[in-house]
Amino acid sequence: MPLLRHIIALAILATLVWLGLYLHESLGRQTSFVLIGGAAFGFVLQRSRFCFFCILREWMEEGDTRGVLGIIAALIVGTLGYLVLFGAWVPDPTAGFLPPRAHIGPVSWVVLLGGLCFGIGMSLSGSCLSAHLYRLGEGSWASLFALAGAVGGFMLGFAVWNRLWSQTLADAEATWLPSILGYAGAGALQLLVLAALGAWLLTRIRPSAADSASATNSLAGIWRRVMMHRWPAWVGGLGVGLIGTTMYLRADPLGVTAEFSRHSRDLGTALGVVPERLEGLDRLAGCIVSDTAQLIGNNGIFVLSMIAASFAAALLAHQFRVEKKPPRTLISAALGGVLLGFGSMIALGCSIGTLLSGISAMAVSGWLFALGMVAGIWISLPIRRKILG
Amino acid sequence: MRLLLATVLGSLMPLMAMADGPLVDTDWLSANLNNPQVRVVEVSVNPGVYEQGHIPGAVNFRWHTDLVDTIRRDLVPKEAFEKLLSEAGIDNDTRVVLYGDNNNWFAAWGAWVFDQFGHEQVSILDGGRKKWELERRPLSTVPASHRRTDYRVAQARPDLRARLSDVLAVVEGEREADLIDIRSADEFSGRVIAPAGVQELAVRAGHIPGAVNVPWHKAVNEADGTFRPAEELREIYAAVGVDGTRPIITYCRIGERSSHTWFLLKHILGYEVKNYDGSWTEYGNAVGVPINNPSGRVWTGT
Repeated sequence: MPLLRHIIALAILATLVWLGLYLHESLGRQTSFVLIGGAAFGFVLQRSRFCFFCILREWMEEGDTRGVLGIIAALIVGTLGYLVLFGAWVPDPTAGFLPPRAHIGPVSWVVLLGGLCFGIGMSLSGSCLSAHLYRLGEGSWASLFALAGAVGGFMLGFAVWNRLWSQTLADAEATWLPSILGYAGAGALQLLVLAALGAWLLTRIRPSAADSASATNSLAGIWRRVMMHRWPAWVGGLGVGLIGTTMYLRADPLGVTAEFSRHSRDLGTALGVVPERLEGLDRLAGCIVSDTAQLIGNNGIFVLSMIAASFAAALLAHQFRVEKKPPRTLISAALGGVLLGFGSMIALGCSIGTLLSGISAMAVSGWLFALGMVAGIWISLPIRRKILG
Repeated sequence: MRLLLATVLGSLMPLMAMADGPLVDTDWLSANLNNPQVRVVEVSVNPGVYEQGHIPGAVNFRWHTDLVDTIRRDLVPKEAFEKLLSEAGIDNDTRVVLYGDNNNWFAAWGAWVFDQFGHEQVSILDGGRKKWELERRPLSTVPASHRRTDYRVAQARPDLRARLSDVLAVVEGEREADLIDIRSADEFSGRVIAPAGVQELAVRAGHIPGAVNVPWHKAVNEADGTFRPAEELREIYAAVGVDGTRPIITYCRIGERSSHTWFLLKHILGYEVKNYDGSWTEYGNAVGVPINNPSGRVWTGT
């Protein structure tokens, strides 16, 4: 069996390489870079189990702060990376231009509400959207229920969008911290806040046996350390921050909901529940966009490549398993999925697109989403315990 | 050694010479990237493409904010245009080379704006971003920074722009001109009001009476986005009765793509031509003006 796992993993790698070369010729270098980025992202998420919900739940329920430190690490690296790019692309942040494509969303209670719904959806469904995707690669078929629920949630979000737009979003500002404080001011403020949060979490860290285990210097030891053992969360965080920066440099900011929401929107329009015209949506930067003629757009390639790489990594780490799930888990996953979809639609992205890419871009909307999401998890964890036991 | 130097210089000289024509090719531009008399300007449709890699030394003009007055639906005011060019280090005698994505649509539109402000030396990079990338020429992400100048608009040329009244004068037979509609055949015939996914619409479908339909892309080589040779272009328009003996007015939906046709008719073929930037979103919505709708589907929702 181990041999079979290796053969399948190798076949996935070979397919990804072939696809990358093919896409380079047919659709251009940006698309092939998106494929590589997706694969790297899926690999890093799987290896470090970078699941926003698991991380925050471990902190809230078990007092284990290591995972949250990984998120902080991702945000610090992302902020630094974005600062480098912004400095080159927008010479004067106070001149009134926003950096192209960056996920700087409207500052409004709608984003906060989106985060809150998303947080509750995470509790009920077991993780955020990006983690459902990488866990799909680990054989977690309950994630399919969550993703199906998310399709319904997206449609629900699109259905109420025009009302939200005319009531509040049309007047909301997309606030970019550097446009107020300059790069030095905004960068310093944000990094200080992140460092303070990190320092506070560090005081609560508990040393564990796994952390002190060091790799032997043999090839087999390194293989085990990299390909079999779970990476420390901060290593995953560094990887996520770095991938976020390079993706923004070469393609689009990190996000996993664009393609998903696009197809949900098409489906909703076909079913007659989503209006033909969604006001103002095309003007807003984020994960919810409507253009692209390709059947599978860049974001779709990113997500599929991410699932494939996670599958290969899970096989090699002996972490691919298909388990039996009780019906209430599946129902809870689907209901949570609806909230995930709804929350990320009205907030124009999820924990990756709005929180990670947004905070990296020093957008106030990213912080609002984070606040809502953490609160949402906090209030819904007891419900989760009641439902799932 | 001296012979070698002479040969190298000899072969470089023609490339280094100033281009006089409306089009420059990628070889010429590569050889002139460091020429202080040349300033390369990218005008692309898609935000972010400049930032992710542009022709080294090029500056970025955002068509939707830098070159228009967003509130009046008008060209950028003269003072703002002067400031923009001064900050880009462009002098009145600088040769400006425009290029962009999507077959130079907006680069051509930029050339129309430059022409209206009377800038003398404006060229388009033939094939634009598409050809430059196809040839695998280097791109840069380093932002361009050039010494500030003090640009002054010498003499504006408002005659390059057609207004609704000019178009109506032609429709009602008070003035002679050839109207060229560069939109797709379906928009022209009135089967659709606008291409799929487009937000700006008109309440009626069809075209301006008397207009001929030559979709803009007929003028380019699909492989690399370059303009077809002048002789071929002359024939394409002559085939629909436009031969330059009468003034011409080009239009499309919002007046940007039609600049592409405007540019080639004016600068490659040397015809007298205006661009009607109000285009179908103005004409098709105007009250009390005649339209032609061969498909019989005049109103929205019918």
